[in-house]
Amino acid sequence: MKTLIIIKEKDYAWLRPIFTGIHPLLVPICNKPFIEFLIDFAILAGSDALRILSDGPLSDVEEYCDNGSRWGIAISYGSIKSSDETLLIMEKNHRYCAGERVLLMNGFVFIEYDKQHNYTALFAELPDGEILGCNKGSLSLRGTPGERPKVAGALPLSLVELDSLEVYYRLSMEILSFGESPYVIPGYSNEAYCHIGRNVVISKSAEIRKPVIIGNNVQIMADSIIGPLAVIGSNVIIDKASTVTDSIVLEKTYIGEQLEVQNRIAAGNILIEPESGISIAMDDPHLLTGIKKSGSAEILFQSVVHRLFALFLITVLLIPFLLLSPILKFQRKWKKSTGSYYINDAGKTLALTTTSINRQSLPGSIAAALSLDRFGLLFNVLSGQLAIIGSTPIAAKTDNSVPLLEMGSWYKAGVFSYAEAEEWPANGDERAIVERYFAVHGNPLLDIAMTIKAFFNLIHEIHTP
Amino acid sequence: MIIKENVCNNITTINLWGTLDATTAPTLRNFKSAAAPADPVVINMSDVDFLDSSGLGALVGLTREKREQGGEVTLACMNNKVRKVFEITQVYRLFDIYDDVEAATINAEKKQTRL
Repeated sequence: MKTLIIIKEKDYAWLRPIFTGIHPLLVPICNKPFIEFLIDFAILAGSDALRILSDGPLSDVEEYCDNGSRWGIAISYGSIKSSDETLLIMEKNHRYCAGERVLLMNGFVFIEYDKQHNYTALFAELPDGEILGCNKGSLSLRGTPGERPKVAGALPLSLVELDSLEVYYRLSMEILSFGESPYVIPGYSNEAYCHIGRNVVISKSAEIRKPVIIGNNVQIMADSIIGPLAVIGSNVIIDKASTVTDSIVLEKTYIGEQLEVQNRIAAGNILIEPESGISIAMDDPHLLTGIKKSGSAEILFQSVVHRLFALFLITVLLIPFLLLSPILKFQRKWKKSTGSYYINDAGKTLALTTTSINRQSLPGSIAAALSLDRFGLLFNVLSGQLAIIGSTPIAAKTDNSVPLLEMGSWYKAGVFSYAEAEEWPANGDERAIVERYFAVHGNPLLDIAMTIKAFFNLIHEIHTP
Repeated sequence: MIIKENVCNNITTINLWGTLDATTAPTLRNFKSAAAPADPVVINMSDVDFLDSSGLGALVGLTREKREQGGEVTLACMNNKVRKVFEITQVYRLFDIYDDVEAATINAEKKQTRL
């Protein structure tokens, strides 16, 4: 059997303002992209090939699903016109559909199924035609069936029209409520009602109340309460003494200290009430309330500690630098470039000379592992222009417009970045989240520990293929 | 770029071979079809191994010209490379795209009969 997924732009237009930049087929439902539920069902139904057809762009979906080898099913893609009827779509995919039965998933609908059920046998018995239908879509079989015995009993299937945020929220909560989930849910699950992803840090005093689903790279800080009925997306930080119940926290969201999120969908800086669809965009992009500027004595102490540690690193790295840099310069594997970078939140700029090392040779590999490309920047720490660890320096714009969203009050350019220390992606929103976190929780001694961590992470990075 | 044309039941099938880029696009643009102006055309793209913006421009130009004359152009058998160009440029919105020449021809025939 083969499967055709037909999805039209008009069916998912409502999703666009909420999940900006995410293709509707990749919108996470309980931390699993929607398309994966459809792929799982196609496999359960006995399909060995699947084609996704849309009148809109599919490049993001194609990038995510590729040829389907991850699921062991051949995935292909095609384009249709928004006016095309199902029959014409079948004709347009005549070669794909020829000779085999075709399962048609039409519309932006969620198929409620049970992974324990044998759908392959069930569909083999079903005659051609519509299996299930609703206003927004249908599930049907086309092709030449072998036999047509009558199917006894109700079908262990149903369709949910994904046409509003309320339905999306209700569906997520429903999936969460299953002890033994009928779907394959990402994350480890040693006990019922609980799925936890990779690289999740949960403070000892935090409380997890089932049912709950937690994504990858999540930090749950002290005294926070997660659940019951909480979906926490990937790359989320729940700060101290916050409570998340009956809610969905979408990925890359920061829930600040002492916040109570109940019956809401939190997406970046937007809090949405699912029933009414009313949303509030927070002034602070990550729900972070009031980053307090350190006092002058604290700043002085931090600056002294940073300078001392920079001096220590200069002393340690001086000999490797003197030995390796001439060799690499001679081999033309040591390239310098100068650019203007913002160094603080006031938008002050500084011309920094950055070095890139070609790591193809042994000296290059050693130099990169020892972070010798940052050696010159350590002198900027001595002069107080850079921090030893802080934000990734942002290149200054030629039109002098400061990228305000990226440069909040926490911004202080550093030789190493907190993102490197925490092995978070060193660009974009994810980097900003971790930098904001340390702006609130950082202190000079923690900075030294984080610098050492970043230093060793870079060594590890170089030696990992 | 090799262009071959078959006419059957007033349906013209144009088979393209090779690369459709800046150097070969004029060949397609200047191609004079033996078909009547209002007759539908199916372009078999299965052997087009490369397509760039000039090639795409030639295809769009051909289609526009055909539509002005009351005809229609249907594309068939796009390989993955070509499909990606259509995807990036969103030109797929302009064409009826089939995965099979025969099905495209039958459908063009049906449309013509209806007219």
